[in-house]
Amino acid sequence: MLKKRIIPKFLIRNGRLVKGVRFHENFREAGNPVSTAKVYDAYGVDELLFVDIDATPQGRPVTGSIIERVSEEVFMPFTVGGGIRTLDQIAALLASGADKVCINTSAIEDPAFVTRAASRFGDQCIVVGIDYRRMQGGSHRVVSRCGFAATELDPVEWAQRMQDAHAGEIMLCSIDRDGTMEGYDVQLISEVANRLEVPLIASSGAGTLQHCRDALEAGASAITISSMFLFSDHSPIKVRSYLATNGVSVRSQKGSHS
Amino acid sequence: MIAIVDYGMGNVRSLRNAFEYLGEDVMITSDPAELDAADRIVLPGVGAFGDAMTAIRDRGLEQVLTHQAIGVRKPMLGICLGMQLFAKSSSEHGDHRGLGWLDADIRRLDVTPPLKVPHVGWNELHFPADDWLFQGIRPGEANFYFVHSFHMVCHDVADRLATTDHGGAVTAVVRSGNLVAAQFHPEKSQDNGLKLLGNWVRWNA
Repeated sequence: MLKKRIIPKFLIRNGRLVKGVRFHENFREAGNPVSTAKVYDAYGVDELLFVDIDATPQGRPVTGSIIERVSEEVFMPFTVGGGIRTLDQIAALLASGADKVCINTSAIEDPAFVTRAASRFGDQCIVVGIDYRRMQGGSHRVVSRCGFAATELDPVEWAQRMQDAHAGEIMLCSIDRDGTMEGYDVQLISEVANRLEVPLIASSGAGTLQHCRDALEAGASAITISSMFLFSDHSPIKVRSYLATNGVSVRSQKGSHS
Repeated sequence: MIAIVDYGMGNVRSLRNAFEYLGEDVMITSDPAELDAADRIVLPGVGAFGDAMTAIRDRGLEQVLTHQAIGVRKPMLGICLGMQLFAKSSSEHGDHRGLGWLDADIRRLDVTPPLKVPHVGWNELHFPADDWLFQGIRPGEANFYFVHSFHMVCHDVADRLATTDHGGAVTAVVRSGNLVAAQFHPEKSQDNGLKLLGNWVRWNA
C-alpha cells in the first residue's frame, strides 16, 4: 500500500534556509540547506522540497549549485521550485539531481507551459504549486509571484485545470496559515483531494501532530512541514510514530544510509 | 566500470552519486566504444516513452544497446522509464515501439478513487526473500520510491520478479537473464535502494 508522505519544506534565500509567517513576515534564519537536508535524510523523511523564494521576485530560476550539492549528500527524492519559466531550466534542475519541479507563477501566466513541461518530462515530474488567500465572505483566490500578485482564480477550479493540463501533483498552500502553526486548511484540502485524480500535497499550518493527521485523513497524499520541524521539538520520527499509531499508513523504518 | 547511458532523459547525476557512494567507477556516456568497454550498463530515464525512444534512436543507440543486451549479454539495469523501454511497446501518448528485449507492454495504471495516478511515493515491495538481488532487505521494511503513471505488463510471468500494490499488483522488478530493471528509483530509495544497487553491482550474470 502506498504510504502517506512527510515532506520537510525548505525556503531558500541567498543560499540559506529561512522561514517566515504568511510569506512576508518575521523571517527567521534556519540554517544551511545542504547540512539540513542531511539531517532530514537521516530522519528518514519521505521527500524534501526546496523553494527559492527570491527567484520569482528577482526574475531568475532557482540556484542549481545547491541542488547539486544536496544530490551528492542524500539518496532520496526531492522537488525544487522557484522562478522556473523554461523547459531548459527544468532540464538543468533534473540534471542537477532534482526528481520533480514545482511550478507556480509561470503556470498562472502561461498555463500551456505546464502541458509542454509534462509532455517533455512526464506528468509525474511536474508539481503545480497553488498559493491562495481566503477573502472576506469566505471565498478563496489564488495569489501568484510568491504572494505578491492577486488573481481572480479560484484554487479548487485552478487545481482541476492544472490537473487537466497534465500536472502530476498539486501542492495547495494557504498563505494565511503559512508559518502560523495553527493547522492546515482541512476543509479546502478535503474538497480538492476529493476532486482530483492526481495526488494532493497539503502545505502550510502544521503545528501539532494532530494537524498532520487531520490533513492526511482529509485526503492529502502528502504534507509539507516547515516551522514545526524548524522551531518546535516535533521531529519527523515523532510525526511518523504518531501517525502510525493512529492508523495512518506511513513508512515504518528509518531510511537513511548515514 | 559501470556505464550510465546518456541520452538526455535521465537523472544521471543521482545515479552516478549512488554508485560512487558504493565505491564503483562510473562514467556517463553515449559513446558505443565506451559502452562496449563497460562491465555493466545502466539505462536511466525520466520523461515520456516516445521522446525517450526518439532520443535513443537519434543518438544511434538502439542497435548499440541491443547488441550489448542481447548479443554480448552484458549485465544491464533499467530504471523507471529505462525499465519501460525494455518492453515491446507503450501506449503513453500514442503507440510507441520500445527496445523489445522483454515480452512486455507498457500501459497506464488503472486505479479507482481514492487511489491516485501518478503513483508517487514509497510503496512496499513483494519479492522472493531468498533472491540475491534483495539480500539485506527486510520484508515488511522494503519500501521503495516510485513515481510513474504507466507500468509494465509482462506476458512472460517468469520475468516478473517483484511487485508492489497500487490498485492491484504492479510490476516493480523484472529480470530475464542478464537484464534487470526496476520501476522504482533505487538511487532515491535511501538504504534499501543502495542495498539493491550494491547487490546488482556484485552480481555476475
